[in-house]
Amino acid sequence: MANLLWLQGGACSGNTMSFLNAEEPSACDLVTDFGINILWHPSLGLELGENLQKLLNALTSGQMPLDIFVFEGTVVNAPKGTGEWNRFAGRPMKDWVSDLAKVASYTVAIGDCATWGGIPATAPNPSESQGLQFLKRQHGGYLGAAYKSKAGLPVINVPGCPAHPDWITQIVVAVATGRGADLSLDEFQRPKTFFTSFTQTGCTRNMHFAYKVSATEYGQRKGCLFYDLGCRGPMTHSPCNRILWNRQSSKTRAGMPCMGCTEPEFPFFDLAPGTVFKTQTLMGVPKDLPQGVDKSGYIKLTAAAKAASPAWAENDIFVV
Amino acid sequence: MPTAVQTLDISPVGRVEGDLDVRVNIQDGVVVDAWTQAELFRGFEIILRDKDPQAGLVVTPRACGICGASHLTCAAWALDTAWQTEVPRNAILARNLGQLVESLQSLPRHHYGLFMIDYTHKNYSGSKYYEEAVKRWAPFTGSNYEIGVTISGKPVEIYALLGGQWPHSSYMVPGGVMCAPTLTDVTRAWSILEYFRREWMEKVWLGCSLERYEQIKSYDDFMAWLDEKPQHANSDLGLFWRMSMDCGMDKYGQGHGRFVSWGYLPHEDKYQKPTIEGRNAAVIMKSGVFDGHSDTFKLMDQKFTREDTAHAWYDEPGGLHPFDRKTVPTQKNTVDMGGKYSWSTAVRHDESGRLEAGPLSRQLIAGGKHGESWQHYDPLVLDMYKKLGGASVMLRHFARMHEGIKLYRQAEHALREFRLNDPWYIKPRERDGRGWGATEAIRGALCHWIEVKDGKIKNYQIIAPTTWNVGPRAADGTRGPMEQALIGSPIKDPRDPVEVGHVCRSYDSCLVCTVHAHDAKTGEELARFRTA
Repeated sequence: MANLLWLQGGACSGNTMSFLNAEEPSACDLVTDFGINILWHPSLGLELGENLQKLLNALTSGQMPLDIFVFEGTVVNAPKGTGEWNRFAGRPMKDWVSDLAKVASYTVAIGDCATWGGIPATAPNPSESQGLQFLKRQHGGYLGAAYKSKAGLPVINVPGCPAHPDWITQIVVAVATGRGADLSLDEFQRPKTFFTSFTQTGCTRNMHFAYKVSATEYGQRKGCLFYDLGCRGPMTHSPCNRILWNRQSSKTRAGMPCMGCTEPEFPFFDLAPGTVFKTQTLMGVPKDLPQGVDKSGYIKLTAAAKAASPAWAENDIFVV
Repeated sequence: MPTAVQTLDISPVGRVEGDLDVRVNIQDGVVVDAWTQAELFRGFEIILRDKDPQAGLVVTPRACGICGASHLTCAAWALDTAWQTEVPRNAILARNLGQLVESLQSLPRHHYGLFMIDYTHKNYSGSKYYEEAVKRWAPFTGSNYEIGVTISGKPVEIYALLGGQWPHSSYMVPGGVMCAPTLTDVTRAWSILEYFRREWMEKVWLGCSLERYEQIKSYDDFMAWLDEKPQHANSDLGLFWRMSMDCGMDKYGQGHGRFVSWGYLPHEDKYQKPTIEGRNAAVIMKSGVFDGHSDTFKLMDQKFTREDTAHAWYDEPGGLHPFDRKTVPTQKNTVDMGGKYSWSTAVRHDESGRLEAGPLSRQLIAGGKHGESWQHYDPLVLDMYKKLGGASVMLRHFARMHEGIKLYRQAEHALREFRLNDPWYIKPRERDGRGWGATEAIRGALCHWIEVKDGKIKNYQIIAPTTWNVGPRAADGTRGPMEQALIGSPIKDPRDPVEVGHVCRSYDSCLVCTVHAHDAKTGEELARFRTA
């Protein structure tokens, strides 16, 4: 049995909703097949009649082991570092986070808010929000750069806005089945198994990317969203086009530009005027190029691609 | 000789629209006063200031992970009205479909995951239905709990076909939608809908076909349906109804008796040139204000919206229309029940006062004869309201579930009406101006106001259903709808006032309570516990 506690700070519950969409394992399977004892969750609330504060105190005092501490939402520090704008069970949520992170074998940040600060931390960050161990790209966050859980790992970051249900359940299952030591994390403490390939990997618009055929507007049945519509698929690490969403699709497949939500900078450019769903260019060249491609390489590549582009690439390909 | 008043502080309650705490005073086993406190402030309206006009399409769905499609709908229509766009027919349908499947998702998820769990509470172990309730509805292990929670993920697969993923897509944009679904998307969506109908709606929830259920037009019809076949009586709906009656859920949770809906689902042929003023005459589900005391109906208009801040943690004058608000949060948010005690403002209609939002409001308003002749009409819930003596925990939840069948039919309508070779998007011209977009999230009336100036957001204001429902007292002392609905709740065991949870959950507050009961005179703590 692995004891799991799930709390929410400055959260929208989007990761909880995403988690409930899981199949193989489903949320119910986690409990019935994998022996995960969900001590408490804000919307699923087990153990009728138990007292949450007593439970929390039993965990923080070490009377009861806390195997997995899942946190969703930002750590709210406002006003002026007190955390009073997010009170929970009689005290600032950030104080609970400090106490629980000390006793947890594994601490898992689910979703952008808990990993990097996400939308609430967008300038001017009125709630003084932080992620557990990062604020945007900056290492440290609320718990500090040196933080390690009892199992010796830093915070395991499962980013995304929201995180995909499979990313959540599979990390939880890995830990619950004693494979926590096998988790290898990248520089942003994301499990490499999910966050090494790109959002573009497996995108159905890759041929259009290759021939530099652009979807110039929404609602088109052809073209790549990178050139005009601000898609961040080539610069974003996620398996969105390998492990589909809701078992059906992905943003880029459906015609929506990737917004790079698994990366620490999300939302990019702090949503400044002119930056939403528009590729930022300098002299006609995108400011953000596919990872590892430099400007001169990009210019050569796209010139060649344009020259080689077959006629069919300009016709509708996702036809009725 | 009345006994002393006991004060219970319930913290936390409600974790979706932020943290909600509730205080109730109990005397002689009944709630005599109540205060609802919203306990989380993230400042989305502040974040949106000076940003790209389209930032709301990205930010506002993240206000609530359960109603993201509803926020996106509002954000898109608000920009449409500000930019004076043209929205093609297909795009109206595709937006409506996204909104609909999100609401369908929420039905079994809230019903099993949050609401029915309470029926397995030991308080009801004396009920003849208790054993069956535990078998079906116990968390994680109940037979129908597992079916319901798992199948709730199905409808939003259709959202993913349109927007790529659920939650948190931004596929609705001013001028239409980003997607251009193909025939395979439509046929797949049909099969997902059919699966949801066959495996849950008909088999588990109703115990009959949708067509048979749709014949029910009055309270008498419903009772006849219940007795018609054992499959009806033993369905989850049948058992919910009978057990609610058996346990007295029809006897409390009344509230103010005044209700609001913005109306929703713009008709695909009537709102292609969207304006704020033209919306009421263009929505399939009509807007309205229903006053249960005078039995009168009228249309709802955004211009009557006022936000009272007398008891809310904002340092700005009360009684403002959202277009005039600045969102200045109080730095030191000390709880003072006589003063300020919530992040939620007290929203009111300038003429009709405090109003309840939600599926019950929508279904009562659906029974009104006001509005356009072609708009949706359904007298059932209004008839029940009159025959059963007003609102209650039971009726509020019933209304939510009853609506599902109609949402299903509207989703079918959208799939039938798509014209796959027509446009999905018409590029708009960006301009300055004021806009307003509204819808009905599953929890009730939701709307956004936007003012764009010099190519960026000057002011963005959101009023969510939870703001209507859990708002604190107004300057004149009027309680918020949920505060009022808690009055009169019988508390069987002050050490375990699960009934408070029922009332809050009937409003669909996603919540788990930790309750501290204090003896008001001695301050001695009586009990601490949770009701899931």
